[in-house]
Amino acid sequence: MNKSEVTGHRVQGAAGSPEPGARSAERAMSEEATQSLVQIEQPNHRAQSSELSAQGGDAALHAGVGKKLTLEQVRAKLADENGNPKKGKRFWRSVDELADAPEFAQLVNEEFPSQASEWIDPVSRRSFLKVMGASMALAGLAGCTKQPDEAIMPYVTAPPDLILGKPVYFASAFPFTTGAVPVLIKSAAYRPIKVDGNPEHPYNRGGSDPITQATLLDMYDPDRSQHVLYRGETRPWISFVGEFRAMLADKKASGGQGLYFLSTTVTSPTLAAQWQQGQKNYPQAKFIQYDTVNRDSHYTAAKQAFGEYVDAQYRLDQADVIVSLDANFLGGAQYPGFHRLVQDYANKRKLAGTDAMNRLYAVETGTTLTGFKAEHRLALRPSQMAAFAQALAGAVGAGAANGGNWADHEAKYLAGVAADLNANGGKCVVIPGEMAPPEVHLAAFAINEKLGNVGRTVVYTETVNPMPSIQMADLKGLVADMNAGKVDWLVILNANPVYAAPADLEFESALGKVGTIVHLGSHRDETGEIAHWHINNAHYLEMWSDARAYDGTVSIVQPMIAPLYEGRTAHEILQSMLDHPDMSAYDAVRATWMQNGGPLAKGDAEFNWRKSLHDGWIADTAFTPKSVTAKGGTGAAATVAAAGSGVEVLLQPDPHVYDGRYANVGWLQEIPRPLTNLAWDNAAQMSYATLEKYGLQENDAVEISVGGRKIVAGALAVPGQSDGVVVVTLGQGRRIGRVAGGVGYNGYLVQVSDAPYQQTGATLKRTGDIYDLCAPKSNHIDQRAVFAGGPRPGDGMHSLEGDESLDRGIIRYATLTEYKADPDFAHEGVGHWAPKPDETMFAAYRYDKNAWGMSIDLNSCVGCNACITACYAENNIPVVGREQTKIGRIMQWIRLDTYYEGDLAAPRAHFQPMTCHQCENAPCEQVCPVGATVHTPEGLNMMVYNRCVGTRYCSNNCPYKVRRFNFLLYSDYETESLKLMRNPEVSVRSRGVMEKCSYCVQRIEAVKIEADKENRDIHDGEIRTACQQACPTNAIIFGNINDKSSQVAKIKTNQRTYGVLADINTRPRTTYVAGVLNINEELAKSLGEYTS
Amino acid sequence: MATKDAPVNNPMVDPLTGEYRVIAPGHTFKSVTEKVSRIVLTSHTPLGWWFGFLLAGGFVMMLMTAVTWLFLKGVGIWAITIPVAWGFAIINFVWWIGIGHAGTLISAILLLFKQSWRNSINRFAEAMTIFAVVCAGMFPLIHVGRPWLGYWLFPYPNTMNYWPQFRSPLLWDVFAVSTYATISVVFWYMGMIPDLGTLRDRSQSKLGQFFYGLLSVGWRGSVRHWVRYETASLLLAGLATPLVLSVHSVISLDFSVALLPGWHTTIFPPYFVAGAIYSGFAMVLTLAIPIRKFYHLEDLITIRHIDNCGKVMLATGMIVAYGYSTEVFMSWYSASHWEYFMMWNRMFGPMGWSYWVLITCNIALPQLMWIRKFRTNVGLMFLMSLIVNTGMWFERFVIVVTSLTRDYLPSSWGTYRATRWDYMTFAGTLGLFTFLFFLFIRFLPMIPMSELRLMLPQAKVREKKELLPEAGD
Repeated sequence: MNKSEVTGHRVQGAAGSPEPGARSAERAMSEEATQSLVQIEQPNHRAQSSELSAQGGDAALHAGVGKKLTLEQVRAKLADENGNPKKGKRFWRSVDELADAPEFAQLVNEEFPSQASEWIDPVSRRSFLKVMGASMALAGLAGCTKQPDEAIMPYVTAPPDLILGKPVYFASAFPFTTGAVPVLIKSAAYRPIKVDGNPEHPYNRGGSDPITQATLLDMYDPDRSQHVLYRGETRPWISFVGEFRAMLADKKASGGQGLYFLSTTVTSPTLAAQWQQGQKNYPQAKFIQYDTVNRDSHYTAAKQAFGEYVDAQYRLDQADVIVSLDANFLGGAQYPGFHRLVQDYANKRKLAGTDAMNRLYAVETGTTLTGFKAEHRLALRPSQMAAFAQALAGAVGAGAANGGNWADHEAKYLAGVAADLNANGGKCVVIPGEMAPPEVHLAAFAINEKLGNVGRTVVYTETVNPMPSIQMADLKGLVADMNAGKVDWLVILNANPVYAAPADLEFESALGKVGTIVHLGSHRDETGEIAHWHINNAHYLEMWSDARAYDGTVSIVQPMIAPLYEGRTAHEILQSMLDHPDMSAYDAVRATWMQNGGPLAKGDAEFNWRKSLHDGWIADTAFTPKSVTAKGGTGAAATVAAAGSGVEVLLQPDPHVYDGRYANVGWLQEIPRPLTNLAWDNAAQMSYATLEKYGLQENDAVEISVGGRKIVAGALAVPGQSDGVVVVTLGQGRRIGRVAGGVGYNGYLVQVSDAPYQQTGATLKRTGDIYDLCAPKSNHIDQRAVFAGGPRPGDGMHSLEGDESLDRGIIRYATLTEYKADPDFAHEGVGHWAPKPDETMFAAYRYDKNAWGMSIDLNSCVGCNACITACYAENNIPVVGREQTKIGRIMQWIRLDTYYEGDLAAPRAHFQPMTCHQCENAPCEQVCPVGATVHTPEGLNMMVYNRCVGTRYCSNNCPYKVRRFNFLLYSDYETESLKLMRNPEVSVRSRGVMEKCSYCVQRIEAVKIEADKENRDIHDGEIRTACQQACPTNAIIFGNINDKSSQVAKIKTNQRTYGVLADINTRPRTTYVAGVLNINEELAKSLGEYTS
Repeated sequence: MATKDAPVNNPMVDPLTGEYRVIAPGHTFKSVTEKVSRIVLTSHTPLGWWFGFLLAGGFVMMLMTAVTWLFLKGVGIWAITIPVAWGFAIINFVWWIGIGHAGTLISAILLLFKQSWRNSINRFAEAMTIFAVVCAGMFPLIHVGRPWLGYWLFPYPNTMNYWPQFRSPLLWDVFAVSTYATISVVFWYMGMIPDLGTLRDRSQSKLGQFFYGLLSVGWRGSVRHWVRYETASLLLAGLATPLVLSVHSVISLDFSVALLPGWHTTIFPPYFVAGAIYSGFAMVLTLAIPIRKFYHLEDLITIRHIDNCGKVMLATGMIVAYGYSTEVFMSWYSASHWEYFMMWNRMFGPMGWSYWVLITCNIALPQLMWIRKFRTNVGLMFLMSLIVNTGMWFERFVIVVTSLTRDYLPSSWGTYRATRWDYMTFAGTLGLFTFLFFLFIRFLPMIPMSELRLMLPQAKVREKKELLPEAGD
């Protein structure tokens, strides 16, 4: 990102006045005054005027004066001797003088949303929206439509850093349960319109993931709750505070007896500090954290092994051999440290100037991206996992051997992995899964310790969660207290336990025994409906907070926009307990880091503060490794449930909607999940053998009963799933929300607190109904069912699509040995031929300056879907809904093609991001009768929406099938909040128009304009497409292929580079780098894998 | 071919040639004129006509409903998706256009080849052409995503600096179909002028006299009129003849120009033309057989016509069969994986059933028409005409849909399931076609009286040399 663009200026325009009264004149004046202040303030250092209000507020704080000017007084000051308002230049000077007065600073301060605590007038939000409406009209969005009837308010004087049409970038952080994701937010006219990873942050270096990308839509979600409610009626926030404080006053004597908080996992040091302060005043009050996906296993094991809670950080840049014990560390933000891990993993697979590669073994109970990226994957039943980990520890001499009864291939696998680990002591790492039992973690600790990995490939640090605990135990304690009638007030902070608590706790009925339930949440969800008080939560894009990334680095969460619905935060609720109940979150965060010897306090604190806001993190706050030693031992030998004693149930969070909190985000629902390709659904996932054993077919409704609890789900066969296991996905089956409501089934109904992620002894029963699963893209269920059969070597099942993709040269890969022997493997063999550039009868296009091209490294791509989500956000792609998705009308411009290879029981998967190839010989261009898709002088196939009449011939003729058609009116032209979200540089397509990937032409043009202004060529890497920017592994490279020194031109000369379907002479501009797998030859031989 | 198996004492069989007669013996100029014009000029509209007319009208209303809903909601109400972005609309378009071809062939090519047996059926075959083109022409218009901008396909001067893209076969379609429609209408109308004059003269009602008087544009039947009429007919026939070959060739290019396996093949133009004539003749029979029965026109539309249509169908059907077999052969001989897979998928893929429907209807069953007894059996030939029409519809279905469901990237394979709106639109155009046809047979002479009179023996007495056999050979 262009550094100069990363200015720190913050939300403006959302002005509120301390005195509702004669408003407009005051507003105009105070705005002018503010703006003049901005002009006066010359940024002396790199962090620009990011916190003007802050400075003012700070000044006021330092002055320690609560006295503030009224507007009358300001007027008086500004007027001349006769009381007439001053005009012209003198006016500005007067303000200049005024600006130094602390009283005035405070007045200004209150015009800013940082002090939103005093911002109680509902009118101001509407005014804010009007200003936004005006700026959108100016930005050209509403250019062709009628002006709104309401009066609109233009800027009298535009803020100096606002150039409409020119976006500004701010660094912030997305606080997620596994650790904050540092983000860089693109803001157009003070509306956040894109969330991306912070490229300079040491933790994720620009990488993001689908959830982070989709938090944008989460903020603009029209279903967000918009008011503080008491028993369903709108109340002002202040009346809640009044009641809350009255209760606190009552409980002061008893030390807060009966006051309970239930929160999601805390990663904010300030929130923790606020609670700790509150705990001092109310020692009997309790604060419980609970998340469905928590670190209980890890913490339990850590406590046992190290005697304290620690986080494990894996340094995959140092690891040559990686063993995942049910750890889906390539699957998404749900694995702690994902962004860093996936990048380090991929960097060692790029084979740039070296033949060295890492090797990944995955032992897993479900089917995850990590498993399918692994060179060698072993599928186990959940109950076998702990024993296998212990057996592995035993095999490398790190513990007592668990002499489990392993099948032949399992034993071979175990021996192979153990041998490889032993041979790579200090250069290997074993990563345990978050949802695996504690024994697996213990085994991993022991193995890493034994092989000398600690300090090299794994380090132990403080926990990201400032208040680590065993969450399930806490939750059980809470429910027990609730049932015992001990809970007087329960304040639920952003959690939805009515929906997501394990079924056996019967949380909802326990709630009936609670005196007052307060629910802070972004939506009035299942819990919010029951709660007495519902407080609408501010989104992280609207609030001040702080959070730690998984490496410990602290980021300040700064608001990008004034809270759309005056949302409140957990900070404000906790602050209400304290001595300064009105202190804003902003001040609380500043206090945490700037006072009492905080890291920003050294030197010029204000400068440090601004720098950290500008950079997006507070320097030198990353955790330093702790020297802890595992006590050894891998726990009591785990027993394995006998195969055949019923089905084992494995509960997993949904890869996109997580534990259900993002279920109302349309992008996340619609984008097909990795591997299963399910959209708008979750299924009972099982192997083909299990399906057959229970007489089921795909799409059958199946009743899963375990421990007396039952759910009905659609049966889906997932290649590679171990037999005798059914995977139940959590996060769907919500009751509430226009998007989430009624999608899929609720897996929490079979979750029990004693074994939250895996249970044995389940039975499956066909109900006789058909559950119509929504699995778009390839692997169309009805086709797969027909073609999966048919005699083949192996067990009689094969993937037609996978076979075809290999035959057609769509997927090309080699093992490392093969690659070394024949580096040109990607161009040899049937279907791998491609015409040379001059092999044509026609004159080729000439590209004098720029010729855009893209390269996608299939070795790095882990199939996480971040690119797709980014594309939705960048290009205003509409969500079409379940029915339309199911019949193949999903609008994604980039999709992730997944091909399975070989045996359906133990396949390999290949992921291929597929987007418009911008062919030189574009089949789409010549068949369009109205010239709506044309070739640009820089080699792009441009779609001219205005010209398109919608014959769809181009799509038929596109061999890559990357064109998308608006069969119906998919774009939402009605919902106000979604209008704010859209990228103003990309048209919103209407019905009847074809659309497709444009290589983010709006980004190309923006950079070209800048380069033209500076009379220079475009630098390599200056343009980044949305997918490229989002990719956590940098698998996508984009640039000018005419510039032979560019990264993309160089990678296109790589011998592994190939074009998909190049043999039909489309001459694609997007090429792929063929995969290379660093297989363990001996193991492959003994298992019979990788035989052609 | 001698009619060995026809009974000798059948008056419909010409004893000289042993062939069925083109026109029943005993007709005079007057009787022919009387028979044909009475259908139009009668004031007693048959109840059966009303029944069929209203039934067809109901289907037209259904079409209106379907199209209105389509314009309100968008083409998404149909089953089309990605990858199958063309569905019923294009199938129906090609099918209807194909049906039209027989009319032009009969009126133009057979005229040039002096096949005078065509005279009895050419008028309504031409009408069939026009109505089929009406039905066909509707589809390209309504199938586009933004039909209100359909006029952008025409090259016309405008301020938008907008010009069509001439490399696209869809644009060629526009020209081909609009030319075809124009020539067909002109040819049809001009051919009717002498008959319209007759109707004007015979009409008893003021309205009829006015109406037919207007349409007959002052036809007086003078020799000069006749000379010019004959010349114009020949010229128009000359113009229309290449169209028979070109229109469906151009339409087949919609497919052959694309690079989709199953579309990208050079055999399409000839085999589309043959297929078009095949289905067109089938449709002629589908119409002629009930009408002949209903209006007792067995004298004028004889077994001979049905027999001849059967022979044409047999011939064109064999060309089509050759086309299919060449496709199969080439998919093997080309050694192209794409072609090979396409053919395998077409035969045995999830939509393989449609291929076998097509083979059965278009190739297997029509072989029965080798048998003369079959060809001269009116009921069986009616059945056969329906079978061939079905088969030809499925041919387009196979080409359009099956090829699209599974193309290059296995990840993008899809499926196609028509929606009720697809069926309603298709059935609606069948209704529209029938509706227009009912109007035609009620208000216009469906058999050209003037040309029929030429076929009577009386018309040939002026021939000097010898008594020619009955017209028709």
